[in-house]
Parts: sequence; C-alpha cells; structure tokens
Amino acid sequence: MSLTALTKPWEAMSYGFLDGSAKRELRRKMLKSVAVPGCQMPYASREVPMARGWGTGGLQVSLTLVNPQTRVKVIDQGADDSVNAASIRRFIARVAGTPTTKDALDADLIQSRHRIPEEILREDQVLVLQVPNPEPLRPVQPNMSIARQMHADADYGRMWLQLYEQIVRSGRVMQGASYPSLVHGRHVMTPSPIPRWDVPKLHMAKHLTILSAGREKRIFAVPPFTRVEPLVFSDVPYKVEEHGALTCTRSGTTGFFMNEIPRDDGSSAFEVSDSEWGVKTIRARDGNGESRGETWYKDGEMPQ
Amino acid sequence: MLATPAPSLAESRDNAAFDALLWTLSRPGLPRDLPEPGEQSIVPALLDRECLVYAADPLLMPEIMRTGAELADIDKADHVFLGAMATSEPLADIAIGSDYYPDEGATVIVRASLGAGSGVRLTGPGVDGAVTLQLGGLPNGFWKARAARLRYPMGFDLFFVDGARVVGVPRSTTVEEL
Repeated sequence: MSLTALTKPWEAMSYGFLDGSAKRELRRKMLKSVAVPGCQMPYASREVPMARGWGTGGLQVSLTLVNPQTRVKVIDQGADDSVNAASIRRFIARVAGTPTTKDALDADLIQSRHRIPEEILREDQVLVLQVPNPEPLRPVQPNMSIARQMHADADYGRMWLQLYEQIVRSGRVMQGASYPSLVHGRHVMTPSPIPRWDVPKLHMAKHLTILSAGREKRIFAVPPFTRVEPLVFSDVPYKVEEHGALTCTRSGTTGFFMNEIPRDDGSSAFEVSDSEWGVKTIRARDGNGESRGETWYKDGEMPQ
Repeated sequence: MLATPAPSLAESRDNAAFDALLWTLSRPGLPRDLPEPGEQSIVPALLDRECLVYAADPLLMPEIMRTGAELADIDKADHVFLGAMATSEPLADIAIGSDYYPDEGATVIVRASLGAGSGVRLTGPGVDGAVTLQLGGLPNGFWKARAARLRYPMGFDLFFVDGARVVGVPRSTTVEEL
C-alpha cells in the first residue's frame, strides 16, 4: 500500500461539514436503530458549530444523509422562519450545497424541532427529529445504568405508575409533550417533545423517522409501518389537545394544532402552528392556487 | 467566507450506498440499487478503524484492509461478510449483542440471487402488511438458523447482495418460509 492510497487531496472543509469517520459511525448506528425500533443506541456525538441542546443531534443525522440533490426543510415548533430553523437550514445549505424549501411536500429531508408537519409525509421522505432528552425513564429513574437495565427487561411498570399518579392528582394525564410511547410492542421511547397531537402521526406512517439527541449522544428510529402506541390505560383513552375546533386568526384554517397567543383582555387568539400550512391556506384563499396536500387530521380528528 | 464544498467521488458513492442500505433496511424485502455491484461500495460506506470485520471471501480483503478495520473471528466481528454461503453454520457464531446493548449485534452481508429460488414472507416493522421475497443461493436451513439465534432485541441484521441490488432483513422482521 502506497502513501498516496492512504491520503486524500486537501479540502478546506469536508462535504457536509462532518468528517468521514463521524459519518460512518452515524451510518452504522442509524442502521442499528432502524433494526431495533425505538431502542436508544449510543453514538459519539461530534462537535458542530452550534451549542449542544440546539439540534446538534438532528443536524448530524441530516449532514450524514444529505447529498447535493436532497431538498431540505427545517422547522422549529412548526415554523420555518424562527431563528433556530433558519440558522440550521442556512448551515446545511452552506456546507452541503443542498436546495432548501419550506413546503413539506417538496422536501426530501425534514429536520424538525418539536412538531411533525400537518401534511402526510410520503415514503421517500425522511423526518429527523431533534431530541433534548431521549430517556423516557428519566423522571422515574435518574440512574441511567438502571434505566438501561429496565429497557433490557422491558420493565415499564413505573411509567404507568407515573401516569396513574397524574390521573389521581389532576384527573387527567398531565404529560403535554414527549408522551411516552411503546414502539413495535417492545421499547418505550420518547417521541421528542412533539405535542400529543403529533404522536399518532408516527403510528404506521409511510416515512422513516430518525430521532437524535446530540447532547445525550443517543439515536433511535421509527421505521415506516411500525406500531407506535402511546401508553394509556384501557379505561382512560389517549387524548390529543382539544384544538380540533379552533380557527387560526390569520389564515382562517380550522382543525389543526394551534399556538395560543394571549391578549390584553385576558382572552386568547390562535394561530396555526405549522406556519407553511397557514401560508398555503392564505395563498389558496387569495386565489393563488391550491398547493395543500392531504393532512393526517381531517376536520380536527385523526381517522382511526 | 468558505465556498460550499463539493462531494468527492468517494463521498458520493458512500452516500449513495448508505442511502440504499438505510432505505432497504427500513423497508425489509424491497430491494434498492447500490452505486456499484457487489459488496465493494458497502465496505467504505460503513467500515473504518473502529470496526471488527470477518470476511469469508478473500477477494474482499484488500477493500476491507484499505479501510483500516481490524480482522476478527466471526463471533467477535461487528460486520460479517459471508459471501456466497455453502452451509448455514456460520450463522450460529455471529454476535447478537445483549439486551443492554442490542446495537452490538452484527451487520451481516450475504450474496444471494434476488427473484429466484424459494420464497419467504416477511412481516414486521417497515413492511406494509406482508411482502414476499424470492431469494436463491442460500444454504438449506438458513432461515431456521437465523430464527434459532434471534432473541429480539438481540440478533443480527442481514443484507443480501445480488450484483448492484441489495435487500435488507433486520432482526425485527418475522420470516416465514413458503
């Protein structure tokens, strides 16, 4: 073997920012996380020019998957134009030369913080979710070695106990986001802090979802057509947020997840959380063509 | 301000190879195209100095050695290249990880012929209902040997390579011989 075989031509920066060994490790771990849905796989989260906890896990997955043809959409709490989303989108485009979009139907790869778009994703799309805390057992077991043992034993009794205590204390399940869900009937995962509204979108979906926690160095996945069942008691059904009847004050769309905006008189106004859905609705209302795709929720209800 | 880096040929090939592997492992039984025929493009996409590799096919050795991966016995290896299999005995020794760390279960790459030979019915995550896959060139008792080793979430994940076609069967897939 010659020296030239071992070296590469000089580059100012690797394509997609991450070096080859970081990408290969992420690839190996992504394959394993797809093979065992919902099981948290440890990985060596690399440094990226962003603070840990701001989407570095999702960013590393996106940078590994992209090529110059991948159309990228980035959302933060449903919005394409918030600082976090805009910075990540610009960074990916700058280091990987990818085209970007705000349209969920137009995107090949969607990196998201805390929301899943309202339009149904296709089988050729990949959803990357940023995860701050990947361990659903942390509130009931702070010791992560013991938590790992509990996952190995499928010992999830304390998760139900936690839900039971919430029902006894408050009359309902208080878990708003990151609702613990059983994947493929085996591993309980946190679906990242998406609202309860979004969890049923993961169940038997057509797209691949990869969840990555950069600060906590763990990666897990929900392959297409995989059961994702929120933990519930048989006599206390799973409830999504009561947003089905709310109307967006800006676009007039009804039956989607809303942001509540407090007003001076104590009342609230609502704006649709998926900002691009709102934009498309306004465009259709103003007669600029229909670009809206089919949605998971119909008339504010998720069809069974 | 840095110019946007362009992907090298090797980078594009690794990216395309991994895209095929991830897609087919997420949808067991549905084949995808690798950028090059055979295992040649899988090796540099996944392997480096962190890996322990077992290869039954000596022709793959130069490609594997170039990645810096260490050679290991089959029961220690995290990536196992079995080539064209004559017996299903090697499956008995492949690492399946532990309940604590299911990710230590090996990735196994086998040569087979797609669309010929006996059929299997796949169900499980990634499969919409059920999918039938025809795989030829596998030794007798292959699927029984696999089932004997699987203790979900422990197990190994299979890729079958036929020329540039690759099809994945992860450990989560239930296989029924037809």
